[in-house]
Amino acid sequence: MENKTENRNFISWFREMWTGHPLFSTLIALLVMVVLQTLALGFDQGSFGDWLSMWCRNWLNILRNNATIGIISLGMTFVIITGGIDLAVGSTLVAIGAVIMIFIDGSQTGLLSAAGITGFPSYLIGIVAGLVMGLLLGELTGSLITWGRIPPFIATLGMMKICRSVTQQFMQTINPSVPRAFTQIANFKIGGLMFMPVIYWLIIAFVMYWVSKNTAFGRYVYAVGSNERAAKLSGINVQRVKRGVYAIMGLLVAVASVLQVSRIGSMDYANAGSGYEMDAIAAVIVGGTSMSGGRGSIIGTVLGVLIIAVMNNLLNLLGVPPFLREAFKGFIVIGAVLLQKKEKI
Amino acid sequence: MDLRMINISKSFGANLVLDGVDFSVDGGEITALLGENGAGKSTLMNILGGVIPRNGGVIKLDDKEVDFYTPRESLDAGIAFIHQELNLINDLAIYENLFIGREKKRKCGVLDKDSMISQTRTVFERMDIDLDPEAMVRDLDASYKQIVEISRAMLMNAKLVIMDEPTTSLTEPEIERVFALMRTLKKQGVAIIFISHKLKEVLEICDKYTVLRDGHMVSSGYVKDVTHSDLARMMVGHEVRTGKRKEEKKSDDIVMEGRNLSDGRHFSEISFKLHRGEVLGFTGLLGDGRSELFQTLFGAAGPYEGSLLIEGKEVKMKSTMQAVSLGIGYVPRNRKENGIVKDLSILENGSLVTMKLRKKHGAIDWKNVHEDFDRERKALSIKMESEDNLITSLSGGNQQKVVLAKWLSLNPKVLILDNPTQGVDVGAKEEIYTIIEELADKGVSVIVLSSEAQEIMRVASRCFVLYHGRIMGELKGPEMEEERMMRLATGVEE
Repeated sequence: MENKTENRNFISWFREMWTGHPLFSTLIALLVMVVLQTLALGFDQGSFGDWLSMWCRNWLNILRNNATIGIISLGMTFVIITGGIDLAVGSTLVAIGAVIMIFIDGSQTGLLSAAGITGFPSYLIGIVAGLVMGLLLGELTGSLITWGRIPPFIATLGMMKICRSVTQQFMQTINPSVPRAFTQIANFKIGGLMFMPVIYWLIIAFVMYWVSKNTAFGRYVYAVGSNERAAKLSGINVQRVKRGVYAIMGLLVAVASVLQVSRIGSMDYANAGSGYEMDAIAAVIVGGTSMSGGRGSIIGTVLGVLIIAVMNNLLNLLGVPPFLREAFKGFIVIGAVLLQKKEKI
Repeated sequence: MDLRMINISKSFGANLVLDGVDFSVDGGEITALLGENGAGKSTLMNILGGVIPRNGGVIKLDDKEVDFYTPRESLDAGIAFIHQELNLINDLAIYENLFIGREKKRKCGVLDKDSMISQTRTVFERMDIDLDPEAMVRDLDASYKQIVEISRAMLMNAKLVIMDEPTTSLTEPEIERVFALMRTLKKQGVAIIFISHKLKEVLEICDKYTVLRDGHMVSSGYVKDVTHSDLARMMVGHEVRTGKRKEEKKSDDIVMEGRNLSDGRHFSEISFKLHRGEVLGFTGLLGDGRSELFQTLFGAAGPYEGSLLIEGKEVKMKSTMQAVSLGIGYVPRNRKENGIVKDLSILENGSLVTMKLRKKHGAIDWKNVHEDFDRERKALSIKMESEDNLITSLSGGNQQKVVLAKWLSLNPKVLILDNPTQGVDVGAKEEIYTIIEELADKGVSVIVLSSEAQEIMRVASRCFVLYHGRIMGELKGPEMEEERMMRLATGVEE
């Protein structure tokens, strides 16, 4: 008898959490994925210690491989909460990457090495130049959207085409090399493990979370996305908030670009970053952020990135052919939005 | 077609909005349906149009009892309801709009364009209209759009046309065009119900009138037997005013002054002075431009001509940020669309304006924000469970108070309230009036925009009455009588 009421209590608690707290269902989805992934990983190790170290190493790989998209998704969350979208992230990543590589190139062809600056100072200049460029590209996009009154989809579609195309043309004859020391930014090992990208991702996620909760700008991002008119009539500078989210997006793409260049040590201008915009949007949506703006969270997005990442890992372990994996990504995005509470039309 | 509505009753919950109303229209007649906002006109017409069910009474068409459960049934019986917001699709041609939902098709399923166009022509000829059926609706002016709507009703063989404030957005020559069409229809035996606030137009075009007040039929008869003033008096009634503004402590300082303000569309030649600690009313009926005027002065609409002075200094208001920095607050009409942010909490909604000013090390000083809001919450006696709940968990009156709270925490010099008691129950209404009085006593200058004369008389000591974007008169203290205000607002008295 007692057991039954307890059960019922659990069910009603679960139902309340499921409908009342948008993050709860995301968390459950992630847990299910992790359980499946653990089962797929198998238990055929000699000892528990061996199993645990393999499980952890697998997780470290997942996190490291998704740090770049994770960082971009954080910026995308703000953009989508304001009711916008940014399709240009993959292309701006390449453009910023090219600029960074020109600056840090230690060989004769390098811009700074020709001027006698090499090593650490040149890396610093390269990184700052990349960040500034990301910020400026973001401001430009934001200005097109606010002053130019171009819908975000169109403005960023244009930026997407322009950035990649110009970079490819410009970099045809230049072939900068990345110094070994620069690759340490992403590949530096702590205790024999490559942690760095994960650390950058988590720090930025924490900062973004804090900004979204505790700064006026962060709250205005939600206000603008939820009711732009009411926000404007409350004396909020709606245009500045919108430019701000695209600027942050640009800045985070620049960070991602530094990591990408450092991790791989080169950049394929035609293919690097392609599809990142869709991966980031998918993660944000799976994390419970509403495409129509006003609702969503940074934590949700981190969970969303993890859900897709763990699912990829699971499909890999199960030996699902690579061509089919994208389909699963599609299913999970559609499934996540089907589960979300929606307003009636 | 002759319509008889006998002893119609309707209540929403405990609120009786129609109490045994009789209403009749005969074919070949234009009947005006008059009444103040909330008198029950829309409810009565929505019952006739099958939009809402009635609680009691009988509807007869040509002596046959009828019942409508959906708008479709009402339409099939020959009743066409032309709403104030026209139901046309701008990017389709006229004939496509006329046949929308009932397109003529050939056997193979392809649209029969020729037949639709020729039928449209036939209707236009019958109605004496010179329009190209293939013209795009987008390119028509407001009166022709109205005419296209009426043509659609005629195409469906409507015998009774309900027109809800058809002239609100029309200019004089456009109104004449619509009236000409109404006269043509009348000659063909169509019955027309004309809902309007503009008594001048009623006297010009209508044969009969029916006046509703507070859900009762007050009077009906022939228009030729009455005058403007008779109609205005019947709409307002004779009852004594409920409440009145107590003595005001306004000073001689002028906080805000408008000189010859125009935006070329909604308002023109507006001049006014607002004293410190004064409650100034702006009233008028739908389409009088008062909302647009103050949206513009708050920096939320387009550019304007003329000059605006804040505390004696000329200001060109360009943005809402500028208005806020000058100490002007603005509570907009339509709380849901303009006032609240539904995805944010009560606290955040209540501190949206001042949040950016309460900073500590770059972050919001939540403690400070909370204290601010708590003070306003107590002063306004906002009832709620937790300030972290969503704003949508509150009742309309409490939501409105939260919107007020967000401005009060700014300590504004001027507070503009547009329809402050919209969607607020009677008890909360009185609370809001008291709050307005207390604010004025503390030296805040309050501008109240409202179409309810009672409301203006309750809170304001002085008011301007607008008609078609122009000030028709300024009334002070005892001059503020409902009848007088109604005459000014309907354009009868200059």
